[in-house]
Amino acid sequence: MTARTTLSRGSEAGPAPADPEQAWQPYQPGDGRPWNLALAAHLLRRAGFGASHARLQQAFAAGPQRTIDVLLRPEADAAAFDRAFDEHEAAAADAGGEHALRGWWLRRMLETPHPLQEKTTLFWLGHVAADGSRAGSARLLQEHVRLLRSQALGDTRILLASLLRDPATLLGHGAEQSHRSRPNERLARHLLENVTLGPGAFSQEDVQEAARALTGGFVRDGRYAFVAREHDAGVKRILGRQGSFAGDDLIDVLLEQPATAERLAQKLCRWLIADEDEPERALIAPLAAAFAHEHDFGKLVETVLRSNLFFSARAYRRKVKSPIEYALGLVIALEGVVSTTELAKDLAALGQELFRPPAAKGWAGGRRWIDEATLARRHNLAADLLRGAGRYGDRLDPHQVARRHGCEREDSAARFLVDLLLQGDRDLDAGALLQAVHGTSGGPAAAARALARALARFPEYQLA
Amino acid sequence: MPTSRRHFLKASLGASALASFASGVPGFLARALAAAQRAQERDTVLVVVQLTGGNDGLNTVVPFTDDVYGRSRSTLRLPAATLHRISADLGFHPDMKEFRGLFDEELLSIVQGVGYPRQDRDHDGAMRAWHTADCEARGAPGGWLGRAADLAWNVDGPGVPAAFVGSIPRPFGLSAEATVVPALRSLEELVLREAQEHGSSPSDNPLLEHVRAVDRRARSNSLRLEPLARQDSGAAGYPSFSLAQDLHQAARLIEADIGVRIIYCELGGGGIGGFDNHANQLGNHCALLRQLAESVAAFMRDLRRIGALPRVLLMTFSEFGRTVSENGRRGTGHGEAAPLFLVGGGLKGGLAGPHPSLTDLVDDAPKHHTDFRRVYATVLEKWLGFDARAVLGEEFAPLDLLRP
Repeated sequence: MTARTTLSRGSEAGPAPADPEQAWQPYQPGDGRPWNLALAAHLLRRAGFGASHARLQQAFAAGPQRTIDVLLRPEADAAAFDRAFDEHEAAAADAGGEHALRGWWLRRMLETPHPLQEKTTLFWLGHVAADGSRAGSARLLQEHVRLLRSQALGDTRILLASLLRDPATLLGHGAEQSHRSRPNERLARHLLENVTLGPGAFSQEDVQEAARALTGGFVRDGRYAFVAREHDAGVKRILGRQGSFAGDDLIDVLLEQPATAERLAQKLCRWLIADEDEPERALIAPLAAAFAHEHDFGKLVETVLRSNLFFSARAYRRKVKSPIEYALGLVIALEGVVSTTELAKDLAALGQELFRPPAAKGWAGGRRWIDEATLARRHNLAADLLRGAGRYGDRLDPHQVARRHGCEREDSAARFLVDLLLQGDRDLDAGALLQAVHGTSGGPAAAARALARALARFPEYQLA
Repeated sequence: MPTSRRHFLKASLGASALASFASGVPGFLARALAAAQRAQERDTVLVVVQLTGGNDGLNTVVPFTDDVYGRSRSTLRLPAATLHRISADLGFHPDMKEFRGLFDEELLSIVQGVGYPRQDRDHDGAMRAWHTADCEARGAPGGWLGRAADLAWNVDGPGVPAAFVGSIPRPFGLSAEATVVPALRSLEELVLREAQEHGSSPSDNPLLEHVRAVDRRARSNSLRLEPLARQDSGAAGYPSFSLAQDLHQAARLIEADIGVRIIYCELGGGGIGGFDNHANQLGNHCALLRQLAESVAAFMRDLRRIGALPRVLLMTFSEFGRTVSENGRRGTGHGEAAPLFLVGGGLKGGLAGPHPSLTDLVDDAPKHHTDFRRVYATVLEKWLGFDARAVLGEEFAPLDLLRP
């Protein structure tokens, strides 16, 4: 089956379901809401970093729910893959520091058999928003990401409690010392304001009392140390609860607040469904209720991905691709291997430097990813990736990819690329587009590169 | 030829501001919009030049009649006859002849005795104070110019309010929470190597409309920047110093008129910085001040040539001044107050504030009498037309430096 015959315009994604129950029911393709390549690509962009032709076809053949089963529980041995990459990363961090580590993480995103886990790890990186420049060691950053990865789709209670003992988190928020006599309020405030409850849902007294619960926590020589005599074991009152709380208890108190579940569900919807057009509270309520019960973030992600809402017009192309999604999506679709250390520099210029969130709230994202300078740089990055020479070499060869998948002739190769990169979001006349770029000499390989560059410049292509 | 943003501004202002308030937007949004619109009412540009390492103010604006100066500096003392006179008892360093010229033309003001309370004499700490403008460490997010950029950003307006031009990593002063402030080595980086029209039917997707609008502006900017980016700095009269090259790029960015209101350059090479002269200061300091004076003078000539002088203001700063006494290695230690320079077409010119006393010192350094945040408030509020209080977190009285 070729891509073309299965296409349907993306704008034909089903209408948004109105009532909350309907919204979170698993999407079942049917009349008026057909499963098509555009929706398969939508799923693979949001749940990962994009897809190759083969992966797209596989997802199209398997249908949405079966594809999500595999996204959640990949058949390949993801644990073995992660162990191998942990070793590469450790060596790279020791030899080349933070920048080398960024390169390896990007490589992991490209090659992982479990892209949903990696994508959700990236969610947590921005959510925890530790300033990597304060860590002083790339190994601590690597450990930080390992911790995020280990519970990205797991138990949020365990994740948050572990973060309180994670050196990069403490250093990254200036909380490497918390004396009994001078409780450090920074991490406590960040936890309440950005990680759990959200602004306005707590008082300054809550911050002070939470900080007391965290006293005794230190980072010494890059390791976490709990110093019992520096811990204030007295009774604290936090958010109406009373007890001689320590760190783990604080996390329990924060997680039992309805505001926490609501906020995390809200933020996940923004991450997976739409940058703007925030879901109303009634819509969030069932998600929040389920999360409050088990603190199972994987379950939350699963519910959202499977839902009618996720496959509706309210989600389709309603997110701006982050720089990472933009660049990795192109590399994955064109089945190439490029230097990810080089890519990391370009992504920093586009506003997404891993380990360096611009604010305690993480990356602003959404339409803020795109301005005249970052858009120009995106176009020029695509041009560099697809030049066929220069700093990225000739590793991306769209003509070869098209041929591999049986599209030998120039016009069929052009159609193939349009379907691969834009899935018919626009009624593009591939032939005419090819003509337009064909002025360049250099034969079919150069023409295919020029076409891929042109497609990557489309406004629609900037959207996830 | 794309229409000029400034022409567009002049034609459309007022109307758009009124329309947005009539439509019943929520209060906080209306306020954010008002702040952003206010920030776009002018077309003035601020150029900040960071002198990294702690510039020796006493050997920059030299109090040559002060006995303490002569006594304290046996090898670094600059002979009065070599100075370029500012007043009866002050003179510019011998290598700053061009600054004297700018001063005489009332294109240059000297703000004396600038610093802040409980000055940190550590490079990182002091630079952080100047970058964040948060000397009390209250936790203001990002840098002061980053906050200004976030404030100026408008959903419909130009999306690049600030840029760094240079080859060191982007200074923290430009760190913004939401705006991606670019670090440019050359304007070529904003020139599209290929471009195309995207014929498009109207969409109900606001994000798509946003990307389309930005795409049109990026292509229009690129057309403006392309011929400018290729211009030769030597032909435009710039010396070969890296600061001069960066200012040449800054002038092209101003000439392109694409809505960049804040441009940041650096002299001293980043890191601890070339101005940190604990030993054998004399020759090194001469070279740096010569680079500063010649580069800034070339920049001003260029701005005058392109007719942009009236709308550009350049401000220098350094994280601290230096000690009055020499240290025995023909160098000086980390100090506190120092003068800073404002250069451009909208100034009253002259000296602002007295030279700090050399007898009433704090740990061998002149005390400050003017908080640097008053200078920031002046350039933000009076020059750029931004809400200085929103950027600085509290009210600082602006200085009377600008022509009405």
